[in-house]
Amino acid sequence: MVELAPSAPGHRPPPADPADQALVELRRYTTGYERTAVLHDIDFTLRRGEFAGIVGPSGSGKTTLLRAIAGQTRRFAGTVETHPRAGERALRLGYVPQVDAINWNFPLTVGQAVLLGRWREMGWRPWPRRHDRELLGHILERLGIGHLANRQIRALSGGQQQRTFLARALIGDPDLLLLDEPTSGVDIKTRHEIMHLLGELNRAGTTILMTTHDLNAVATHLPRLVCVGEGALVADGAPEDVLTPEVLQRTYGAEMLVLRRGDAIYVVEHLDEGMSEAESIPDEVGAGASPLGG
Amino acid sequence: MGGLAEPFQFEFFVRGMVAATLVGVLCASVGVYVVLRSLAYIGHGLAHSIFGGAVVSFVSGISFYIGATLWGVFTVLLINGAARRRQIGGDAAVGIITTCAFALGVALISRHGRFTRDFDAALFGEILGITSGDLYVIAGVMALAAVVIFTWWKPLLFTTFDSDVASTYGVPVAWVEALFSLVLAATVIASLQVLGATLIAAALVIPPVTARLLTDSFTRMFALAAAVGGVSGLVGVYISWFVDVSSGATVVLLQGALFVVALGWTVVRSRWPGTGGGERLAAIEGATLD
Ligand SMILES: Nc1ncnc2c1ncn2[C@@H]1O[C@H](COP(=O)(O)OP(=O)(O)OP(=O)(O)O)[C@@H](O)[C@H]1O
Ligand SMILES: [Mg+2]
Repeated sequence: MVELAPSAPGHRPPPADPADQALVELRRYTTGYERTAVLHDIDFTLRRGEFAGIVGPSGSGKTTLLRAIAGQTRRFAGTVETHPRAGERALRLGYVPQVDAINWNFPLTVGQAVLLGRWREMGWRPWPRRHDRELLGHILERLGIGHLANRQIRALSGGQQQRTFLARALIGDPDLLLLDEPTSGVDIKTRHEIMHLLGELNRAGTTILMTTHDLNAVATHLPRLVCVGEGALVADGAPEDVLTPEVLQRTYGAEMLVLRRGDAIYVVEHLDEGMSEAESIPDEVGAGASPLGG
Repeated sequence: MGGLAEPFQFEFFVRGMVAATLVGVLCASVGVYVVLRSLAYIGHGLAHSIFGGAVVSFVSGISFYIGATLWGVFTVLLINGAARRRQIGGDAAVGIITTCAFALGVALISRHGRFTRDFDAALFGEILGITSGDLYVIAGVMALAAVVIFTWWKPLLFTTFDSDVASTYGVPVAWVEALFSLVLAATVIASLQVLGATLIAAALVIPPVTARLLTDSFTRMFALAAAVGGVSGLVGVYISWFVDVSSGATVVLLQGALFVVALGWTVVRSRWPGTGGGERLAAIEGATLD
């Protein structure tokens, strides 16, 4: 177990009624930008403690689904219901944007950026109190960027940038962590570290929803996958149920091959003409450790 | 006492100097957010539009501050309304509305030729003609800006950095933006007599950009910008007495000189690796040319 927010008043009490376990429920939800609907008729429920991934081709609406849950898009139709913790009016959300959605030129140090996530608790004073600084130090240390608190956000590696904005999300002690492509643009080792960290957080009780383009290294290891294709949910369930050639065909509009070996799943994304299933099965498929396994 | 202390015997000079210092600090502090949100053209447009409002209120016999405030609020609402239509876009909406308001002012002046001299102040600033009433207005607006900026420091910073994500974290973004528009409009109105419609944009933009060159920290950028704005107001008015040049222009030229010095220093520093100078240069280009 990891303890990221020592100030948090202990873990959430288990909900009395199992129906309360839902954190966010979208019902026949249609959303988009300006007057253009992007996602149509979405039915989606996220329960407390889940760790789910959103996959789909570019422009299908992965970010839009995340932003809809984050309350950043317009509602065209349908309902959205959230279930905040006892005594609070709204869900506490942690949102980690896609790397290219961030203004890296902004004069913010890592510490200043992270403390934005605690704007509410920090009260009226512009400067942080001792307690805020201690919490900041603790979280940066935990994420392995403790020595970077005074760096400008541009002057960091991709993995350090991801950790900075993950820290901003975590310092607010969120009910739900939303991450937009947290593993894009980082190397294999960093990707592994980030997924390992998210796995730990999830086991400590944080509900996580993230988008990813990486079917094999990320998506197949998540407990739950949501496939978005052309503005609609194509499939939703465990990877072994969802990652089938039919679903992938409907999601990506392209033929893909799905290989299974024990529990491991491998999606061959660029199927060459004439490639037969037999000759394409690699021997070592799935031999690597799951990034989510402790 | 002659020589260097000479101007201080005149009350109007001291008043002007205080006004220029306060306006320098005020414009620079508000300008930090204007620059970081790439809204420089709105400050520029608002100043020109409020000039139109100043003329209209003079011609119709209303007090400048009341007329300009109503006019400013009206313009901001109009800009917001027009910018929401996607085919027009924010910058074009600002361009159309504020230049028309400015042209209206110019048209009224040319019909009533005898007013012309009174509007020199609104166009180019007249620091030495500041009354103590003007000074109270400036101090009042400064107090308003200070309350909004310091008590809303975090939400304002978060909204400036990324308003969409800020709303996800519970920041009341619409309120923050409305309050900030109010402070910006009030700043422009209070500065009109001192700097004139033509120079306000410079006082909003130059000190923050200069400060940005020197630091990567938001808090330091804010403090440095306010210092650059205040010092150039103070020193600018003092210099203008001796060189006999318009005070507003001297203040802005001094800010320009400080900017050039900061730029030069950053360029020199960027030759030494690891100092961050090069990155800040790139950041300035990105921030102002976007
Ligand atoms: N701010 C916006 N205004 C208008 N349309 C938008 C906006 N953002 C996205 N869209 C449109 O919504 C659709 C879905 O975009 P979205 O960003 O959700 O895709 P995505 O699945 O996240 O793609 P990617 O994998 O490239 O990040 C696209 O057609 C896009 O053009
Ligand atoms: Mg996206």
